[in-house]
Amino acid sequence: MMTTTSSSGTAASVTIDTGEILTPNSSAKRRNIFAGIGEPVALIGALVVLIAIFSALNPRFATLTNLQNVLNQASLPIIIGVGATLVILIGSIDLSVEGVMAASGVAFVLMSANSRGGQDMGIAAFIVPVVLGTVLGALNGLIYTLLKVPSFIVTLGMWFIGFGIATILYGTDAYPELTDDNLTNWAAKINLGLPNVFWLAAALVVVSALVIRFTRFGRAALAIGNNEDIARANGMPVRKHKVTIFIIAGALSGVAGILATMQMGGTSNHIGEGYLFLTLPAVVIGGTSLAGGKGGVLRTFLGVILLTVLNNGLVLAGVSPNYQSALSGAILVVAIVAAAWSQRGRLRIAK
Amino acid sequence: MSTTVATGAVSTEKATKDGLLQRRATKLWQAVGPLVIFVIMFAVVAILTPTFIGGGGVTIVASSAAPILLVALGQAFVLNIGSIDLSNAAITVLGAILLAMTLGPLGAVAPLVVLIMVTLFGAVNGLIVAFAQVPSFALTLGTLGIFQAAALVVSGATTVYVDANLDLVAWLYTGAIAMLPMTFILGVVVAVVAWLFLRFTRPGQGMTAVGKNESGAIFSAVRNRGLKVVAYSLSGFMAGLAGITIIAQAGSASPMGLGSDLLLPGIAAAIVGGTSISGGVMNPLNVIFGALTVALVPIATTALGFDPSTQNLVYGVVIIVVVALTLTRSRSATVK
Repeated sequence: MMTTTSSSGTAASVTIDTGEILTPNSSAKRRNIFAGIGEPVALIGALVVLIAIFSALNPRFATLTNLQNVLNQASLPIIIGVGATLVILIGSIDLSVEGVMAASGVAFVLMSANSRGGQDMGIAAFIVPVVLGTVLGALNGLIYTLLKVPSFIVTLGMWFIGFGIATILYGTDAYPELTDDNLTNWAAKINLGLPNVFWLAAALVVVSALVIRFTRFGRAALAIGNNEDIARANGMPVRKHKVTIFIIAGALSGVAGILATMQMGGTSNHIGEGYLFLTLPAVVIGGTSLAGGKGGVLRTFLGVILLTVLNNGLVLAGVSPNYQSALSGAILVVAIVAAAWSQRGRLRIAK
Repeated sequence: MSTTVATGAVSTEKATKDGLLQRRATKLWQAVGPLVIFVIMFAVVAILTPTFIGGGGVTIVASSAAPILLVALGQAFVLNIGSIDLSNAAITVLGAILLAMTLGPLGAVAPLVVLIMVTLFGAVNGLIVAFAQVPSFALTLGTLGIFQAAALVVSGATTVYVDANLDLVAWLYTGAIAMLPMTFILGVVVAVVAWLFLRFTRPGQGMTAVGKNESGAIFSAVRNRGLKVVAYSLSGFMAGLAGITIIAQAGSASPMGLGSDLLLPGIAAAIVGGTSISGGVMNPLNVIFGALTVALVPIATTALGFDPSTQNLVYGVVIIVVVALTLTRSRSATVK
């Protein structure tokens, strides 16, 4: 009651100095620009240190052939990492990667010219596995958003479902090998100095970075991860975007299944094994927050490169492969502790 | 003016009544859902394959559920405080390997030593999560790698056989009460103790409070950091118990062998047993049925005459369907 009278009466007494509020503070602005660069700089620094150490340990490390080798190895985790990053940006998680890869890999090899015989379906051999990945991704997204089952559980189930589809398709016959050398050699083939599969991965990273940065869909994904309730309250089609992102992740896993099969020259239902627990640490080391809303595919790119260089360098330095998972694990622990250390607080919640 | 107020009050009352009924139904379903689902699945299998019960089906299900149950109980404690432990199955394997190596020289002290060690491994996880305030998913993903490597290095990447004193633990697998092997009975006893602990003790209630609303718990003087360390230590301890059951069953341990694939079944069993993945909801007694359901699925698909290759597919569908059926939803909550 009091406020009504005063506002309808002598409102002129309230003066707001808009200039004071809107004046951009130049030092704050500068801090803003550098705030986002801090972590990538630390990552690149770590990468440089690793490269220096490994070059000193083994002269074969810093060669063009080994660079091509590293990039060839890093490409699949990068492709999967793009999907994983998008899903993590909206605050969810996709564990179904390995299952979807298995399903699409087995579908691909059985539809191509392979040692089991059968018909070579040509272009359909590429389309069907990707569609399969897309469908599994769409199922992830729809069950997650419509039935409100946490994404962790839906995608855990879909992991087994994808693996199950692969097992059924695979049957009990002999290991199918691709018989077309053009297919098996495509990924590692050098074009303009770098392997084909890396060009594909790099193009994907650039496109998805631009999409996240400049499109309405990309910005909405960040907003959903940051605060889903506010995003919904602002009229964003939250459900639609979430399903779209799971579809993209599923399709990329499908592509990764095909590429992994081409790299291996054949496939079994275990083709995707190990990729999930290689990609997720890379995403986190890159600095994408598991809570959603913060991070990006360029960071994931750096994270994957860092872990791949580490593994490659350790092998060349003669370290037993038994220690490898410990070192990547320790780096992951150090990276997250370093990232969280400055933000510690008695009332802060970390899940 | 007064009329409007009256109708408003009536409709609210009706709404609360409906809400109350609905809430009661949800609560009841939450309490018995995992049991009902297991019983239905078990009954279907028993009716369709008459040889299942006579042919020792119960013993097979219970003995394969035992390690899953122990790992799942530890996982449920961590899920209950709103975190996750991806490293517990790796701790199981490492614990089993350590036990296989020490059982000969140390004898009866060996299980004790191993249990203390695995509890400390869990405590390290908890200390880092509580005091460095890092996301538990990422941290335990990292320690998973470290424990895996430790298992490989300690065992020399081969199978380690128990060279003496195996009978100290073997009775857990061979002994049985009412067709149920002692390993499973051990799991049930741990579950009952865990239920009493959660329901009737201050730290137990504090853990659930942390999982429901950590800020609220902190303001209510709940020692959230200490409780996180306790939850992770319990996860390590129970993972170690699972390691002991593996040695009891196999008499050997290897980094790639029995137990190395317990992580996902353990999480699935905890969740199918009604544990909330976002924290604050856990009933250890229901986790028993979660573990039994998870263990029954592969056995049931075989018993029902499905092709073994369909096992994974059925497994995935069952996880999603069971969780979709038992999940408590609220309209406003954000699902991640």
